[in-house]
Amino acid sequence: MAHRKKNRNVAIIGIGQTKHSSHREDVNQPEMIHEAVSLALKDANLTMNDIDCIVHGNMELFEMVHQPDMWHVLGTGAYGKDSIRITTGGTVGATLSCASDNLVASEMYDIVMAIGFEKLQEGHTTGGITNMADPLWFRKIQAGALTGSSAYDVEREFGLERANRASLTYRIIMDKHAGLNPNAHRAFGLDFSQIDDLIKSSPKLVGELKLIEMCSQSDGACCVIFACEKKAKKLSKSPVWIRDHITAHKEETFTIFGYNREFPVMKTHKFAAEQLFKRNDIKNPLEYFDVFEMYDPASWWAIDWLRDFFDLKGDEHLKLIENKEIMIGGKMPINPSGGVIGSNPIGATALIRVAEAALQVRGNAGGHQIPTPVNHALASGFGGTMWTVMTMLEKELNW
Amino acid sequence: MTEYWGIKVEDIFNSMKDRFRPEGAKDVDAIFGYDIKDEGKWKLTVKNNEMKIEKSDDLAGCVATMKADGETFVGVNSGKVDATNAFMGGKVKVEGDMAAFGKTGKMFRKFVIAKKAMSTKEYLEDMFATVVPRFKASEAEGVDASFAFDLGGPDGGKWTIFIKDKKCTMTTTIEGKPSVTLEFNDAKDYVDFILGKIDAQSLLAAGRASAKGDINMMQTKWPVLFDKYKDPVGSAVPEQELLVLKKIISVNQKYATGPIMGKFLKGLKEKKIFGNKCNKCGRMQLPPREVCAECRVRAGDFVEVGPKGEVRYMDIVYYAMPDPLTGVARETPYGAINVLLDGCKGNETLPHFIRKDQIEKIQMGWNEKKGTRVRPVWEENRTGDIWDIKYFEIDE
Repeated sequence: MAHRKKNRNVAIIGIGQTKHSSHREDVNQPEMIHEAVSLALKDANLTMNDIDCIVHGNMELFEMVHQPDMWHVLGTGAYGKDSIRITTGGTVGATLSCASDNLVASEMYDIVMAIGFEKLQEGHTTGGITNMADPLWFRKIQAGALTGSSAYDVEREFGLERANRASLTYRIIMDKHAGLNPNAHRAFGLDFSQIDDLIKSSPKLVGELKLIEMCSQSDGACCVIFACEKKAKKLSKSPVWIRDHITAHKEETFTIFGYNREFPVMKTHKFAAEQLFKRNDIKNPLEYFDVFEMYDPASWWAIDWLRDFFDLKGDEHLKLIENKEIMIGGKMPINPSGGVIGSNPIGATALIRVAEAALQVRGNAGGHQIPTPVNHALASGFGGTMWTVMTMLEKELNW
Repeated sequence: MTEYWGIKVEDIFNSMKDRFRPEGAKDVDAIFGYDIKDEGKWKLTVKNNEMKIEKSDDLAGCVATMKADGETFVGVNSGKVDATNAFMGGKVKVEGDMAAFGKTGKMFRKFVIAKKAMSTKEYLEDMFATVVPRFKASEAEGVDASFAFDLGGPDGGKWTIFIKDKKCTMTTTIEGKPSVTLEFNDAKDYVDFILGKIDAQSLLAAGRASAKGDINMMQTKWPVLFDKYKDPVGSAVPEQELLVLKKIISVNQKYATGPIMGKFLKGLKEKKIFGNKCNKCGRMQLPPREVCAECRVRAGDFVEVGPKGEVRYMDIVYYAMPDPLTGVARETPYGAINVLLDGCKGNETLPHFIRKDQIEKIQMGWNEKKGTRVRPVWEENRTGDIWDIKYFEIDE
């Protein structure tokens, strides 16, 4: 893929997010957004006067408000400023980050504020997702984002028992991480001793995909401030540099499952990761990165995708989970924040991945900060049908 | 009986009668059970817009029984514990008809903790005891000030709060020359003022209170330097109902098919299934598309495929998925299949549904394993729609 070097360096200098929750009836959309915006400005020690451009994103079909960015001006502070609205599905938050990075790198603006939000309680998530399918035929068949296909794939390859246990182990690790993050929506206080009980007792949604394994529907907002190198160095003591990002997607069709070994399906996660690591000359991503904030809509997808992102062979990905190497303190901590299974305000979700990865690089994530130094962080976004956005963050400007 | 947050399990049951909403119990005729660990069992009978709650060890005949421990039960009912979280984490279990049990949610108003009254003296003690913990050192950079309170009446007293070097200390006298002194004739007015029941302007105007010294300091600095006082026996403001506007958006829409999808849908009308092939990669597109998404070249000629084929994958859907356009939930469980129609290869499968009573018999195909052979069951009156195929069924 044609890819040029960045025109100038860009860093994250401010981060703010709300507490994610299923109950935000106490605020309307602009008020909830304002909470995240205020926190990010405070974090960066800036005021709205310092912001040159605002990039706003969510999934309009969920709340059914067209041009929400205009109503939200009261909360975003975009009055009198350049403003752009983005909607790309589950990836929208990650795309906000990419767009902000590009806007600053291109020298169009020096400081850009990205705002992702969603109030999923104000709409119908599964209905909204189904409405994204081809209206001529597939909309009538689809069941939102719910599918048991990943579970089936892992099961067929590794057997039902090992697959189920790996999925629940992943799920419980995420719950333990979410318990350390005061902003997380769901932290049940689960323990590994509950694996067998949960396999039996958690209601099934589709195939082997159980309720406990699926992500939540949350209300929440996230705001991240991006600045050019000159301003970042002047304004921030700990800027987090955006090294690179990549976006890949496939044709709009839901026949993306491969059930014939002779016809392997190229998945966008694998494709994007290969391209990104190749052009940045990263030979062993598992060694290179110190933390990975992964968009994990369900534990089945998460365990399957680890293999794609890190180009793992055989059952290496399951071993990482079984040996709890993906926990805080392990070899490759995944989602110290608790991940998407813990909190999922969709339009903010993928931006939260970038924000949380940046907090880890800064070293001030709080209770869920990983104990070893974080110099290189990875974040991913995912959306329907098969969208992948990956973002690489660095502590030092030395690549 | 154990108390949780000052509430006993039986308080919840005993208050059910008062909290009952007949409008939420319309058309409900059922018995619900509650099995609260170490506390006992209760039986709730709902019929003809009326209810009866009784303690009973016999929960036979209940359509659903909720099981929880006392702390979780009280927590969920009083809003101290998130109900969904408790359910998902296995702390609350429902045995029997889950959907029926869900209806109990609308039958009762929220349980509200009875407020215990606090005296003026108790309030004053609590207000000043929490001053130092409420102090925000981060906001006190460069502040060197003292705030004195001289409160009269039978419960009154004197306090001075000093702020220096980002530290906060307090004495129960008035010392030195305070930056600002607040005087209230009656300490009760001060308590009401802090609780938001009375405003400062009216007190000052009525001569019941006065401020000496740097009044501005009190008005602008105090609220920044200290967290707001929280009433320990609940909010001083009466609990507010959060207004939520409910809307149903129903929009008539029509979508043009274009010639390629049009050919596919017209084919269904004639009991034919068409795909089209990419001349470059040889991939069959099903349903047909204008261009091959992978080669980005115009797709080639139409090819009739099927109508019989082999099941390669099936999702058994248990979640009652509502149709996004009508809101009507699909009947569950159902089987969503990917069929490899005759004439297709690899992953060129068509998604559809399997006949409901055949879900259990479906075998998914793989390289080493043949999938179940199926055939479409056609609608009598076909309109050029994916539902011209009612579903697929096993081809025996």
